[in-house]
Amino acid sequence: MLLDVIFNAFNGLIVGSFYALMAIGLSLILGLNGVINFAHGGFMALAAYFAFTLVPYVGFWGALIIAPLLAGAVGYAVEQLIIRRLYLRDPLYSLLATFGLALIMQDLMRTIWGAQGLPLAIPDFLNQPVSEVYFFVTGYRIFVVALAILSTGALFAVLRYTRLGVRIRAGNADLETIAALGVNIYLLRSANFVLGIMFAGLAGILAAGQLGLTPTMGDSLIMPSFVAIVVGGVGSLLGSLLGGLIIGVASGITTAFYPAASEVVIYLIMGVMLIVRPRGLFGQEGLFE
Amino acid sequence: MNLLQLKNVSRRFGALTALNNISLSVEQGELRAVIGPNGAGKTTLFNLISGFFPPSDGEILFEGAPIGAVNPAALVKKGIIRTFQITEVFLSLTVYENLRVAVETAMGLNIRPWISRGLRAAINRRVDELMDIVNIAPKAHRIVGEMSHGDQRVVEVGIALSRQPKLLLLDEPTAGMGDEETNHMTGLIRSLNKAQKISILFIEHDMNIVFGVADRITVLDNGTMLAEGNAAEIAANPRVQSAYLGAAA
Amino acid sequence: MNRDKIVMSVTAVLLLTVPFWAGYVGGYTDLASRVLIYALAAMGLNLLLGFTGGLSFGHAAYFGLGAYGTGLMLDYETSNTLLALLVGTLTGGLAALMLGPIAVRRRGIYFSMITIAIGQMFYFIAVRWNSVTGGEDGLTGFSRQPVFGLPLNSTQFYYMVLFFFIVGALLLWTILNSPLGHTFVAIRENQKRLTFLGIRVDRYVALSFAISGLVCALAGGLNALLDNFASPDDLRYTLSGDFLIIAVLGGMRNFWGPLVGAAIFVLVQNYVSAITQNWMTVIGLVFVLSVIFFPLGVLGFFRRRSET
Repeated sequence: MLLDVIFNAFNGLIVGSFYALMAIGLSLILGLNGVINFAHGGFMALAAYFAFTLVPYVGFWGALIIAPLLAGAVGYAVEQLIIRRLYLRDPLYSLLATFGLALIMQDLMRTIWGAQGLPLAIPDFLNQPVSEVYFFVTGYRIFVVALAILSTGALFAVLRYTRLGVRIRAGNADLETIAALGVNIYLLRSANFVLGIMFAGLAGILAAGQLGLTPTMGDSLIMPSFVAIVVGGVGSLLGSLLGGLIIGVASGITTAFYPAASEVVIYLIMGVMLIVRPRGLFGQEGLFE
Repeated sequence: MNLLQLKNVSRRFGALTALNNISLSVEQGELRAVIGPNGAGKTTLFNLISGFFPPSDGEILFEGAPIGAVNPAALVKKGIIRTFQITEVFLSLTVYENLRVAVETAMGLNIRPWISRGLRAAINRRVDELMDIVNIAPKAHRIVGEMSHGDQRVVEVGIALSRQPKLLLLDEPTAGMGDEETNHMTGLIRSLNKAQKISILFIEHDMNIVFGVADRITVLDNGTMLAEGNAAEIAANPRVQSAYLGAAA
Repeated sequence: MNRDKIVMSVTAVLLLTVPFWAGYVGGYTDLASRVLIYALAAMGLNLLLGFTGGLSFGHAAYFGLGAYGTGLMLDYETSNTLLALLVGTLTGGLAALMLGPIAVRRRGIYFSMITIAIGQMFYFIAVRWNSVTGGEDGLTGFSRQPVFGLPLNSTQFYYMVLFFFIVGALLLWTILNSPLGHTFVAIRENQKRLTFLGIRVDRYVALSFAISGLVCALAGGLNALLDNFASPDDLRYTLSGDFLIIAVLGGMRNFWGPLVGAAIFVLVQNYVSAITQNWMTVIGLVFVLSVIFFPLGVLGFFRRRSET
């Protein structure tokens, strides 16, 4: 029984890592671009499909690096063509536009790669379990969690110590002011959007290695990612990371005891958080209260 | 009769003392100006009186009863109505619609999904009345968002009047206005005070208006009250001169 | 003004005679029923969205509750179609009444996220609660029964839908032209001003939420009767998105906007899916293009033109 719970909790940790990576990208885009990016799941899947196509040529590691960049390039195009026009408008519009974009992306992926599930080949040595008893702890899964934490740390460092990062943080606080100070906010917004998309891309590739690819894979991850942001606190990187991991694990543990509630529990957690501590674990007080 | 009384009121925000030991009283029917350099605490004073937040020290009495801990909605019911530095009206609605909402709210009808013809007529009458008082009737069906800044402010005063205020707080009523609009507004303020008998407390930067309109003037500087009196007394006050009007002597 | 009256009259005549001409334009009566049902749902949503200013991305929840409520009643409890519809409508309305106060505790994006969460919760309950709802496969085993002895074929049912559409529209119209409706609009325009006039804004938003949920539930019940079927898709956030785009497409600030939007959306979806596999791309493009180029919606666009 205990092994059962650990098994499910660990699975939840993995899925939670996907939620976390998605949430981080979403949070970045929500913060600076002010956009609720419903197409985030689409970009996630797109990167996975790019990886699938690239693996035969550059191997898993090559794909892991190149595919997010390709997805980022698509993200750049999207930001220029669509998102840019909606910055000053009511959030409803960007929500609907990205929603529509998600539909388009899903359909195109289905048309190009087919509707059936595809596998993503991961390196053999990662596929080995690290222990007899805990057979489910494979190298790959540890890799996923580690990469989630590492990339969050890397992003944190970028935001803290690089010029781009400082501008992003300042822009989050007051875009008008930094524009007046001479920062090219158009470029900044594009860069930020691309950065957020690349995180989604990373999530997509890692998830594909675990769960395979389908055109609808983004659907099941996007909603919990929103929850992760709310639970962790809007605007907090650590919050998005922990938020994602927490709801992943919570969902996993719930699966061990009462599988029917494994999805609902995520939304219950969000509901409770919004009532008890609306700023989330690490969010700023007063936002949207 | 003292309508409003502040007794040793202070308000702090962390380490910053916005208002320090202010005592003042406004009488029924008075037209009082509050002046002072930027940062003197004028808007903080208004926020305190209208219930935005409670005083850190001291007490505020309205009609003899303490109101320091009362929320804005309840103070509105008691008759303290304010306007804002940034005009707060309903921009995509017409003047008429703006005032209609205000009147319906004043009559407590907000919850009604249906009202009788008689009530509708009563509401219309009251809206017409308000439009006449502030002299905006010719523009009744213009969209407020498309009107001049001065006109928007007049509409805002109209909205405030719908609640039949006992004490009207006007926060920089002529800010951003040209000469003609300013005249209109000062005329309106005078008429509200003299003809409608409303006690008015207003923040103002334009000295001509202050000296020409107010019965009494309260001068704030750096959170403390520098002086209080009628126009002549204030103009002659050396501390006021050096702090605010620019020391000539 | 005169032009408006002409348009309204023509539309009314068209709506009253649909079964007679639908076939000639390559359509069918059930399609018109679907248009009215979606229009009703979107009009309900628009009370909250366009007139009160609350962006709910989970209104399909109430639509779906109306659908399941109606279906379950017909399946297990009664053969009275109208009673089943009533119960379905009240179920959704009650849910909106109870959940609205929770959602309005927060503003802006958080409000929207709570509505998403609510929608998702109901969706997963419908998917998982196999024994009651039929799970992913949906609720079958019921069909609309004769009303007052009259069997409800497509044509008869269309008139029933039209009747309830008018009832719903009348309800919304009355509310919007009352002090309550004026308050909703004022909330959309300037919450702060209203708060300083002594209004408890969140209570009114919750009320708008409840009424809009009730109307959506009515639409959902009718939808279940149209298909003789209810499924988790009736609760999904994608359907919520559809209702939103319908409201935006038609014109959020216009009372009849959702009717125009529903006509466009349902017809496009129907015809395009018959022509191509990639109808989802077309729908997606509708979303993107209408948001970028037609934010005021069709009716909003025409109103602008007539004012200049």
